[in-house]
Amino acid sequence: MSALVAVSDLRVSFVTRRTSVDAVRGVSFTVREDATLALVGESGSGKTVSAMSILRLLPENAVVHPASRIAYRGENLLEASAARLRALRGRDISAVFQEPMSSLNPVLTVGEQVAEVLRLHRRMTSRAAVERAAELLAEVGIPEPRARLRAYPHELSGGQQQRVMIAMAIANEPKLLIADEPTTALDVTVQRQVLELIARLRERHRMSVLFISHDLGLVGELADDVVVMRDGVVREAGPVERIFHAPQDPYTRALLACRPRLDARPRRLPVIDDFMRGRAAAIEPLARPPAGAPALQAKQLRKEFRLRTGFFASRALVAVSDVSFDVSRGRTVGLVGESGSGKTTVARLMLRLLEPTAGEARLDGTELTGLKAAELLPLRRRIQIVFQNPYASLNPRRNIGRTLVEPMRIHRLGASEAHRYERARELLQRVGLPADAMQRYPHEFSGGQRQRIAIARALAVEPEVLVCDEPVSALDVSVQATVLNLLLDLQESLGLAYVFISHDLAVVKYMSDEVLVMRAGEVVERGTPEAIFASPQHEYTRKLIAAIPRGYEGRYSESRA
Amino acid sequence: MVPTLAGVVLLIFLLFKLFGGDPAQILAGQVASQEQIDAIRRELGLDQPWYAQLWIFVREIVTFDWGKSWMTREQVSSIFLTRLPATLTITIPILLLEAALAIPTAMLVAYYRGTLLDRTVVAICVAAMSVSFLVYIIVGQYVFGFQLGWFPVQGWSDSFWKNLVTYAPLPIVLAALVGLAPQTRLYRSFFLDETKSDYVRTARAKGLSEPAILRKHVLRNALVPVVTNISLLVPGVFVGSFLLEIFFSIPGLGREIFLAVNRSDYPVIQAVTIYVSVLTMLINLAADVLYTFVDPRIELR
Amino acid sequence: MAAVLDVTPENAWTALWHRLQQDRVGAVSLGIVVAYLVMILFAAAGWLARGWSVEVGVPYANPAFLGDRPNLEASLARRFEQKGKVPDLRDVDPLAPKYDEWARRTAELKSTEPERSMTLPWGGDRWGRDVLAKAIKGSQVSIAVGVVAALCATFIGTLLGALAGFYGRWVSDFLEWVYNVFTSIPAILLIFTLAAVLRSGPLAALFASGIWTVVIILAVTGWTGMYRLVRAEYMKHREREYVLAAQAIGASAASRMFVHILPNVSHVILVQLSLLVVAFIKVEVILSFLGLGVPVDMVSWGTMLSEAQTELIIGKWWQLAAATVFMAIFLTAFSMLTDSLRDALDPKLR
Repeated sequence: MSALVAVSDLRVSFVTRRTSVDAVRGVSFTVREDATLALVGESGSGKTVSAMSILRLLPENAVVHPASRIAYRGENLLEASAARLRALRGRDISAVFQEPMSSLNPVLTVGEQVAEVLRLHRRMTSRAAVERAAELLAEVGIPEPRARLRAYPHELSGGQQQRVMIAMAIANEPKLLIADEPTTALDVTVQRQVLELIARLRERHRMSVLFISHDLGLVGELADDVVVMRDGVVREAGPVERIFHAPQDPYTRALLACRPRLDARPRRLPVIDDFMRGRAAAIEPLARPPAGAPALQAKQLRKEFRLRTGFFASRALVAVSDVSFDVSRGRTVGLVGESGSGKTTVARLMLRLLEPTAGEARLDGTELTGLKAAELLPLRRRIQIVFQNPYASLNPRRNIGRTLVEPMRIHRLGASEAHRYERARELLQRVGLPADAMQRYPHEFSGGQRQRIAIARALAVEPEVLVCDEPVSALDVSVQATVLNLLLDLQESLGLAYVFISHDLAVVKYMSDEVLVMRAGEVVERGTPEAIFASPQHEYTRKLIAAIPRGYEGRYSESRA
Repeated sequence: MVPTLAGVVLLIFLLFKLFGGDPAQILAGQVASQEQIDAIRRELGLDQPWYAQLWIFVREIVTFDWGKSWMTREQVSSIFLTRLPATLTITIPILLLEAALAIPTAMLVAYYRGTLLDRTVVAICVAAMSVSFLVYIIVGQYVFGFQLGWFPVQGWSDSFWKNLVTYAPLPIVLAALVGLAPQTRLYRSFFLDETKSDYVRTARAKGLSEPAILRKHVLRNALVPVVTNISLLVPGVFVGSFLLEIFFSIPGLGREIFLAVNRSDYPVIQAVTIYVSVLTMLINLAADVLYTFVDPRIELR
Repeated sequence: MAAVLDVTPENAWTALWHRLQQDRVGAVSLGIVVAYLVMILFAAAGWLARGWSVEVGVPYANPAFLGDRPNLEASLARRFEQKGKVPDLRDVDPLAPKYDEWARRTAELKSTEPERSMTLPWGGDRWGRDVLAKAIKGSQVSIAVGVVAALCATFIGTLLGALAGFYGRWVSDFLEWVYNVFTSIPAILLIFTLAAVLRSGPLAALFASGIWTVVIILAVTGWTGMYRLVRAEYMKHREREYVLAAQAIGASAASRMFVHILPNVSHVILVQLSLLVVAFIKVEVILSFLGLGVPVDMVSWGTMLSEAQTELIIGKWWQLAAATVFMAIFLTAFSMLTDSLRDALDPKLR
């Protein structure tokens, strides 16, 4: 098959008043006709910029090097006039973006927006365009498409919004669909549906798809060719089977390996460094201590939020209903669920950041939930939390030293200020950061480093229990492994009890001794990780397991539909 | 709305009661005997406890009966009604003209964002806003009224049309031009904020041209803050033109209030403040309803 | 799930300084504003324009750059002064014989009164006071009023906004009611009401001299914008994880409000403060023009403009020009500086 789009030696820089940043440094790849090419890389790899260069949908301060060439069926798009580009966009080449809610115009109806792209490139009356729009909505799987034409974007769910975006993109039967992380912002179960939709449409319309993702496992199910990028260059490219079965480049091998596997539970996850330096990853099975007296107990926790619906009226929203668990020192209980399942609320209840409506929590036998503020303070030492967003959990206006010392000061640990600063340095070392980080500010560190600082802060008061609320979800895959390894090391050496919360079933399975599956505030299933995976009892658990990307082994084909 | 109204009434009452001068003394004038002052006190009810006075105050508001102005002996309620038309003849055209001029100007400037034209226009707006409104009126009156004689320098008549055509144009045009600078800057920022949105990127990906994007997508979204802004300006039509009224001797509500302040004419000040506040609250309520038509994301509770 | 990250403003102050240095317009504006501040500090200390109220020139004296242009009113005033104003009634006046003796005596005692000059650097006003000195002193008064009032309004608005945004529920409900009450009254009416009350009430004697009446009027009317902004910011930040983390380690509510959140909101407050300064100066000018602003023994740009109106009719435009130019340059520079400040602190533009 011939080349539909050929990118050669693409170089893109972003110019600000002070500096110039090279985002893409000499990237070449080819999208074949009627095939799916996946661009895989972590944040900062340049994958999005490369793909968006095809349609020249770049920010105003982007500069493309004159030697670069992007050929669409032989025509150099980088030299095309603005009018020619406009003719191609939405008709020959179209795009679907990551955040469907903000990518749709909030004040126009769904029908108007879909009809717009039809009327723009074809001679259609508005009546005909609306008809066709309804057909398109049906094709992408939106129920009651005619009624939906008059709906506004905010009235649809995330998955439905993304389907509308896809409908707009395929409306004019494009030759190429560029999908920029189309499922990253969606729930796991919805992800799978949208991916299957894209694959189905591709086959039916004989379209090529340029699929951008950070998740190699996801890509393995969908792509024909894979291009792996890092830091603005191509590390490896080839057919998908070869990439998965015989990866050449150490970075590719690292990406494949550092996801927690579903079939084994190694002592440590391999990290990028291991592969870049040629060290073989040791896969010893993980040894876990037996269950003992519970360090943290939750009994029938319930949390209701009151929503004001009128001046005097209000409605109760049940976020958490009848959740109970316990965890002993050195072990981990895992809570897994999608957004709205209530798992984050449970985390906050444990820390008394929220007050439970009913139920109680006990720390080593001492009741946690009924205490007043003064009595609560000493208990706060014993249970700490690590949050999801490393960019928001550290105060941007404080240097690291102050951030680490503050909890010690509040709980009067350490004989003197100097002693506290010394201890802070030790903590930094323990999490693998240099002592000179003390004077620096959060913005000078990467996401993974900030998360380690957050862990150091939590450890500053020597807690017995650590609640981890999606600690690695906002990090790149390669960095996730580092942080998970750190958490495991700390658990082993300090005997901490963990409550590990995540939407990612593979990660939860890897870290936990007992797993609770949550949905809409309730625990729908619980058991050991192995038992849950081997024989899931509840319908929802089965759906969650099925939604996990399997890489090449889980490849979609029309026959399975 | 009711609690807010109660709050406004309470605030005005307390302001005058606690910080204002003794009404009896002000009314009696400089040379008055103690008996005269006491008589006035009884008449105004000032010898009664404070909650009784508050009740009198509330009653006055509800029945529109404020008695007479302390200075002109005119019924306060009639003052309000007779002065309002003059004010509205000036303020409503100004509001409409400002909005009609500022939106297209801002859109044009937003289209050329980042260019020299854009920066120059912004700089001119900033400089224009740094000159006091007073200077524009003084100079405008002097040049166009006094020197060139295109418009009468001052004056007003009883006929609506004569006012609109002869006496009103100079103040209206002056005010609209002066208001153009800040409104253009504000609306420009609304437009620019919208152009950075994701849905603009989607519109480009569909193949729309920049002018089409501005017209069909950005304008519609930018209207939301524009409507918010205009609805905040609407309550100003009642008193907002007081400077113009003073300079051009237009017998409007704004000038009336100013004269009342100068002669400490409490009933007039209190009445106008309360009633205009009520009107403001009603207009805000109407604006809330208007929003639901402009922004589909907002639901009416 | 999203790998979308929220980029919060990073160590804004050093970044701000760097960006301001690069922004030429911002640097020039900063220079002008600093020059004004130096000028008004000198004026306040008495090193500049101390004698602004002294009548050093003839009434309506010409500005120096117009020198010998015919000035009817000035020459009339000069002749009037020289000739004496009293008509000659010596024939019928019983005191007439005493005049010569008195004139002799006063001639001995007469203090050296400098002769009033015909021209002044920027002209003279109706009483012959130096317009340039008035402009400088007026700058001091107007800018001082604007800045002090803005600081007061900021203090009130920030405190109330922080409380409302952080605590929520009934604290916020109560403060929202207060906010609604104040914003339901159109600003001009509130200003007029306060002006009426403060000048004729018991406080009138207390505030008779000085700028405090105007400052109080402006602060009480103008705190609402800051309140709204700060409340919104606090509502946003109180859900942020660094605040929750502070709560988790045991930090008190006061600590979280003012030690943790406030530094992260300070840049927004600063921009709003600058906008308030500009707005308040403009309102003060109008109030002083109407006689409701600074007391009669002080001069501000507003009082200069009120005199300028009648002067313009007889063709004397220099006081109008002086007040306008001084005001326009300062406000333009200050506004540009505020814009540069806002751009420099905006994380998205980096």
